[in-house]
Amino acid sequence: MQNSTPPLFKQGTPALAKLVVCLLIGLVLMVVDFQVKSLDFIRNQVSYVLRPLEKVMLLPSDLFSFGEDYFTSRSSLEKENLSLKTRQTELSLLANQAALLAVENQNLRNLLELQKNTNFRTVPVEILFNPPNPISQRVVINRGSNHGLNLGSPIANDAGILGQVVRLFDNSAEVSLLEDWDFAVPVLVARNGLRAAVVGAGRGNLLQLRYLPVASDLEVGDILLSSGVDGIYPPGFAVAVITKIERSAEQNASNVFCSPIAEVNRHLQALALIYEPQWDAKPAPISGAPPSTGRRQTRPKGQP
Amino acid sequence: MIDYQSGYILRQVKPSFIYISLVLALLLNFLPFGNHAWIPDWLIICIVFWNIHQHRYVGVVTAFLFGLVMDIHSGSLLGIHAFSYSLVSYLAIAWHTRITALRTFSQILHVFPIFLLVSLFPVLVNWALRDQIHWWGLTSVVQAMIEALLWPLATNVLLFPQRRPIDVDPNRPL
Repeated sequence: MQNSTPPLFKQGTPALAKLVVCLLIGLVLMVVDFQVKSLDFIRNQVSYVLRPLEKVMLLPSDLFSFGEDYFTSRSSLEKENLSLKTRQTELSLLANQAALLAVENQNLRNLLELQKNTNFRTVPVEILFNPPNPISQRVVINRGSNHGLNLGSPIANDAGILGQVVRLFDNSAEVSLLEDWDFAVPVLVARNGLRAAVVGAGRGNLLQLRYLPVASDLEVGDILLSSGVDGIYPPGFAVAVITKIERSAEQNASNVFCSPIAEVNRHLQALALIYEPQWDAKPAPISGAPPSTGRRQTRPKGQP
Repeated sequence: MIDYQSGYILRQVKPSFIYISLVLALLLNFLPFGNHAWIPDWLIICIVFWNIHQHRYVGVVTAFLFGLVMDIHSGSLLGIHAFSYSLVSYLAIAWHTRITALRTFSQILHVFPIFLLVSLFPVLVNWALRDQIHWWGLTSVVQAMIEALLWPLATNVLLFPQRRPIDVDPNRPL
């Protein structure tokens, strides 16, 4: 093709035909991916090829941050070390207290026959990059289903909840951040225990607290913690802080806007929380009868 | 092929150079600059450039395949980039005779709508699927403007191997 003159009559498949085929395939892919969300296996296979390339392209920024770390002065390191040490002593004190409280709480729950609090495991993850996307704000992390992550696992850093795993690959995962479209977290107000749901409104917009009457007791600056009623987010993690309240008496509703507590673009290290509570119904309190597990009871053959 | 801007006849293009430049542009897109509206999409500049200058090597199907790769990289709906890249590359191929004959400034004005279509396409798809315009997404107009302003640079870099003189006389360098 390089040394030949352009053909005058035989020009192969017309570009318009190619275009129509490509556009049709693209349209079908978009509709299938939006409606069924069953194309993730393709992404998984392709990501085996793409991730190494993406990691190679991470090298310049890694080198830059490494150089920044390497050339920090001794005095600033000493200062940082001192503050970290005091912080660690405070935290270990608090942790001892928390362990005591947790045991006490668990015992009380046992006494009252309440649902037990479930512990969660953490998996340290590293945020690789946030891909360009005008619609949603996502990050890609370097752990996947091979490391125990599940679809929907929450991702948090030391400040609070960052987001949730929305696409799971074998060795990586895509995490949707709090401000993504229709991203909902059940929360309670830390000050008075009022329950609500924080909903994301798209990239660049503030989070909203929906379904609240106008007379609800909210103030600007209230901190919202995850309430844990959905069985996805472990209770007690900071999610957002209220920044603006617009009350309208005619509609008997208040528009409450809040901003996420955990900064996304600062921290490269985060934790994935593996939280699997057993939300079973309580066994029926009839003595003698076998506890119903909700499934059809079948008896092994040959036994009465 | 005549380079209308300098008036010289260009050297023949090396297909390996085209494909290496496309892969390099893809790798530039992988650089972790973060999710900002102003970061140019290097790949679409490169694809549109080769669509205009060498449409026998880089056509609609190449654009479609690179678009699929970008879909998987950016985690967006599968097919968004593939659709917009192939649509835009058809436009570029259809306009290639006109655009190559223009001055640089007019070329920028011609490629701007092409880049604008690619930048705004995710917002349009989101509008079609969810019945809501995501106003914040319209900031990607800035991306299209920056890409259009990078067009002269792309021309200089990508046409450089073809603009080298064929016979170099060391005694008379001009």
